[in-house]
Amino acid sequence: MEKEDKSEALNVAFLAGDILLASGAEIFRVEDTIFRIAQAYGVESSDAFVLSSGIFLTAGNEREADFARVLHIPLSAARLDKVTEVNQLSREIVQGKHTPAQARERLLEIQKMPAKPKIHQVLASGVGSACFCFLFGGDWLDSLAAFMSGLLLYLYLLYWVRGRLSKIASNISGGALVTFCCILLYRCGIGHQLGQMVIGSIIPLVPGVAFTTAIRDIADEDYIAGSVRMLDALLVTFCIAMGVGLVMTLYHYLTGGTML
Amino acid sequence: MNGRIIWEFLAAFAGTAAFALLFQVPKRYYKYCGLIGGCGWICYQFLLTGCSEPLAAFFANVVVVFLSRFLAVREKCPVTVFLISGIFPLVPGAGIYWTAYYIVVNELGLAGQRGFQTLKIAVAIVLSILLVFELPQGIFRIGIRKEKEII
Repeated sequence: MEKEDKSEALNVAFLAGDILLASGAEIFRVEDTIFRIAQAYGVESSDAFVLSSGIFLTAGNEREADFARVLHIPLSAARLDKVTEVNQLSREIVQGKHTPAQARERLLEIQKMPAKPKIHQVLASGVGSACFCFLFGGDWLDSLAAFMSGLLLYLYLLYWVRGRLSKIASNISGGALVTFCCILLYRCGIGHQLGQMVIGSIIPLVPGVAFTTAIRDIADEDYIAGSVRMLDALLVTFCIAMGVGLVMTLYHYLTGGTML
Repeated sequence: MNGRIIWEFLAAFAGTAAFALLFQVPKRYYKYCGLIGGCGWICYQFLLTGCSEPLAAFFANVVVVFLSRFLAVREKCPVTVFLISGIFPLVPGAGIYWTAYYIVVNELGLAGQRGFQTLKIAVAIVLSILLVFELPQGIFRIGIRKEKEII
């Protein structure tokens, strides 16, 4: 008897998993989505093994043709819009609203979805920094300074770094830049509490996505992925602290510690 | 004091919504992200009057995760969308700064104290996420049409 070829359906499931993982979804969600899509298209023998940096998908038994794919997926920035869209699509696939070809086309569209305009991101970083500076006890002038250094931070990250530096280097330099900028503003008389200003403006660097996803992975007993992501979060945190510490030390050294 | 609380709620709302943008959350969810962040922060401030920082962070974050799960079911979207930006006000960014600061000025005792405090808050956040995710999905579906869900 001829084995049924379900590779189109499996390719769709694989692509969905690929987008989810690259956008920072939890391992559980990736595996679950691949499994649901494969099932919805009538593939019974699919088996997915997902790590934080790769997907292994195989299928095949006495009735279904063999299928195997492995893909390496580097850690990258969070794209929660893509996670939401793929999640929605997988619901619709389970309800039988798409043929594999249609679903594939939709997934390719999702994969190409543009990020938010850079200028919005820069503004959001500024607003976020100012708000958090205020929450942590800064006054209006401190928030203004945090707003400016938050803007500068994302200008630096989006237009200057653009992924060319390693994660470690960009976080150390980001932390250092922000601290330097705050000290400069502080010395010019904009802002009264240096601590609150720096705290507000380093918040955009804090690895919230890696931390939250790591916890959820560990809770789902995906220890490998969870610990890799937790390590990522810890590393970024240390790098920020190092960047801040570096500039502070220099400043301390130059002024003899009187102005700190 | 009351005036300050309203401003703080607004700041937490705007700050959380801004971070939602940075994580590329779809536009229609900004308001919910902001709401969760604002509520989390107000709870935190309120609890701080009666208990220690890690304990306040724990209970405030329970509220955040609970609201996130509830809204995720209601809006049929992944819970991470709300959770990640919602916990941001509670993430101990200040702790990281003060630890680095005390190390720089060579106050190692204070640095250790601050560092440990930061770690405690982080652990409190972890525990609260674990706790609320153990609750069965059914609780969050009250008043919502029955359907198979992927949270």
